[in-house]
Amino acid sequence: MSVLDIEDLSKSFVGTKALSSFSLSLSAGEIHALVGANGSGKSTLIKVLSGFHVPDSGRVHVDGHALTFGAAESAYKLGCRFVHQDLALIDTVSVVDNLHLSTQFPTRMLTIRPRNLRDSAAALLDQIGLSHIDPRQPVGQLSAAERTGVAVARALQPDEQNPPKVLVLDEPTATLPIEEIDHLLAILTTAADRGLAVLYVTHHLDEVHRIGHSVTILRDGQSVARAPTADISRDTLVSLLGGAENAESEPEVLQPARRAHDASLMVDDLWEGPIRGISLTATGGEIIGVAGLTGSGRERLLGAIFGAYTRSRGTVTVGGTPIPAGRPDAAIAAGAAYLPADRKSSGGIMSLSADDNLVIGDLRPFWSRLFLRKSAVARESRVWFERLDVRPRSGGRQQLQTFSGGNQQKILLAKWLRLNPQVLLLDEPTQGVDVRAKADIHHHILEAARNRALVLVSSTDIDELLLLCSRVVVVRQGHIRDELSGARLTESEVTRSFMSEITTLAAGDGTAS
Amino acid sequence: MRKLPTIRLGFDRFSAIYLWIAFLIIFGILSPHIFLTSSTLHLVASEQAVSGIMAIAILIPITCGQFDLSIGANANLTGIVAVVVQINWHWSAGLAVLLGIAVGALIGIVNGFLVVKIKINSFIATLAMGSILSAFVVIVTNSNQPPPVTSTAWNDLSQISVGGYQIVVVYLLVLGLLTWWLLDYTPLGRYFYAIGGNAESARLAGVRVGRWTWTSLIISGAIAGFAGILYTSLSGPSLTFGSTLLLPAFAAAFLGSTQLQPGKFNIWGTLIAIYVLATGVEGLQLVSGQQWLGDMFNGVALIVAVGLAVARGGSVRAATRHRGFLRRRGQGGVVAGEEPGSGDSDSAGQLRADGEGALPTGDQSSGQATAEAGH
Repeated sequence: MSVLDIEDLSKSFVGTKALSSFSLSLSAGEIHALVGANGSGKSTLIKVLSGFHVPDSGRVHVDGHALTFGAAESAYKLGCRFVHQDLALIDTVSVVDNLHLSTQFPTRMLTIRPRNLRDSAAALLDQIGLSHIDPRQPVGQLSAAERTGVAVARALQPDEQNPPKVLVLDEPTATLPIEEIDHLLAILTTAADRGLAVLYVTHHLDEVHRIGHSVTILRDGQSVARAPTADISRDTLVSLLGGAENAESEPEVLQPARRAHDASLMVDDLWEGPIRGISLTATGGEIIGVAGLTGSGRERLLGAIFGAYTRSRGTVTVGGTPIPAGRPDAAIAAGAAYLPADRKSSGGIMSLSADDNLVIGDLRPFWSRLFLRKSAVARESRVWFERLDVRPRSGGRQQLQTFSGGNQQKILLAKWLRLNPQVLLLDEPTQGVDVRAKADIHHHILEAARNRALVLVSSTDIDELLLLCSRVVVVRQGHIRDELSGARLTESEVTRSFMSEITTLAAGDGTAS
Repeated sequence: MRKLPTIRLGFDRFSAIYLWIAFLIIFGILSPHIFLTSSTLHLVASEQAVSGIMAIAILIPITCGQFDLSIGANANLTGIVAVVVQINWHWSAGLAVLLGIAVGALIGIVNGFLVVKIKINSFIATLAMGSILSAFVVIVTNSNQPPPVTSTAWNDLSQISVGGYQIVVVYLLVLGLLTWWLLDYTPLGRYFYAIGGNAESARLAGVRVGRWTWTSLIISGAIAGFAGILYTSLSGPSLTFGSTLLLPAFAAAFLGSTQLQPGKFNIWGTLIAIYVLATGVEGLQLVSGQQWLGDMFNGVALIVAVGLAVARGGSVRAATRHRGFLRRRGQGGVVAGEEPGSGDSDSAGQLRADGEGALPTGDQSSGQATAEAGH
């Protein structure tokens, strides 16, 4: 008897089908792994289950009861529990308090009863094999796996009216150090043994065989294969993911490229957060792609080069000028430009006008005789609106937030193109952008490279990398592990490269030094 | 701003002016022989000029996303210092003015250091600084109110008449024009608004966030110092006047942000707001004779102004609203963060820190209004 029944689920966003006729059923005590590349529809599925998205068609039943779409309470009442990637724990608050924030504190006369509180927390932790944790500790002091464990414990909080039946985990090991993964997998096995159905979304193929009873492979919103894990080999998994039948190549570590004095960008032994010693040298005129899973360090590489994040070690040289750590202004002065992935929080200033955003990088041309000439700003803005086909054309004085995503991105790209940078660092340059704007942006990226700029494009969209780049570097676990160009630059090669992992810890240690 | 909208009545962006007209009509009818006279006009104009200058002092760092709550105590201290050096050390009025402005700027430098280098939320740093400065007022004066300065130069500084108005009104206009120029026609103004809009985006665009934030606090300190000197020259030394100047200035900056260029802190909106609020207070006091109405009116006005500004959005919203709060509210029940990996950037953190500062503003104002109501 299955606990979770997903039938024929479809969901499309503007232009793309994120999920198409997806079905799945899970029985109690089963751990079902769900794997797929970025953009294959995994997160859409989770968001449908958790009540965030309403699907176009399809049905979901939990224990025979139909799930009401778009309502988080319905998922909760039917017994669905979610652990999202960012865990949503409060680091400065104790384990006990974190466990109770989403439910209620046991009280008598409005006063918390500390003993009951600790007992119920201890029982929760014990249930998933974390009895060694002192519930009075702040969550921030726990290891990464223990924190994930606390999030699982919180999700599995007993509730007599609505007992937990299905546990969905979204890439819980994405940011976990390799040595802690075992620990988390043990926690999940304990949970499944108590009769929960577990849907486990992951990028790490090793884990599929280690804990999954069965596996579904998603590609382009469709389930391309479903099998008990015992019946499917790792090689088959890899080829199904990438879409081609090929053997997996051994991971290799690239030597840092030799220093060249005409290089427009030299990065030497860069360390920052998840990035553990990356070196890269490139000259103008080239477009280099950066691929890798989220959590590999790929998502922070360009920001770390630019100085958006302060690097802890290493040197960065732009056009021969060394850039001090954490100084975007110095990087810009040396000829670098950086388009962050997140337009809202770090790319643009949404409350200011498009013109203000466009010209903020260099106001000197508009400053004459003690006044900033607004007419000169407007002229400049008209030129760029025209050049990048930003609409509405006359909207320069409107707030940036009133533009569509594609037009916002064009304005922010224009802000940098205006400065004629030598090194363009583009993080997800076409994320959340419609097809037409995407083509326009690609055109201008290629144009910049033709004008001898060096362009680095970091993207989860492999097609985009294949389209733009002459070579693609693949980041895994904070290192550049692979470099693909020429005949090796194909979708399946790139996917395989960033999906493959270091199989032993020893290999990881050897390369980190 | 230059292009005042043509025919549209524009109730949204000129509401304060309509309110002003309403005040004039209502109080004019209720008290025609006092309220609608040129002497009342001159009186309100010059009485409020110091408040207007204080509002400019608060406006400049606010465009940058920083609150300077020390301007009240700053003005109080500089005013007292300028008097004390003239009485005790026989300094000339001119030197005393320069010293006062320098003291104000020095306070701004210290505020900037605390906010930019030590990274203390400006709300907290300047609130604490205000308390420290109040202590300095007592240290400098030994709790004895100094006698007024009697030199003509000192009195003329604020009281000489220009076309029937005291010269402080001219100072206000000149400072207003300079601020207009600074905020709307210089790169510095663009940087201020960019930082106030999204400090992280501004930093990534190459704006020197720390340097300009610091600059805004120094300008604010110097202007507050000047305002303190003018107040003392106009009304004589007092040990406690500073705190009464802070709240109307704050209310005006926020009410001003709903006017002329809604969603943006702006100079003319702020100055209009100062006079609208003052007209309201003056009229109510004339009609009712109750002294507590001033505090009450200003407190209520600040809450209403911030409420309007938040509802309207724009950069004011960024500066005043707790983003984390919005995000949490958007989520359902047990379901944790909906967007995996969408970490808040440092900028969101900073804005949130400011937001936390902004919301208590309303609480404080109402608290202050009720606390002083008993006087």
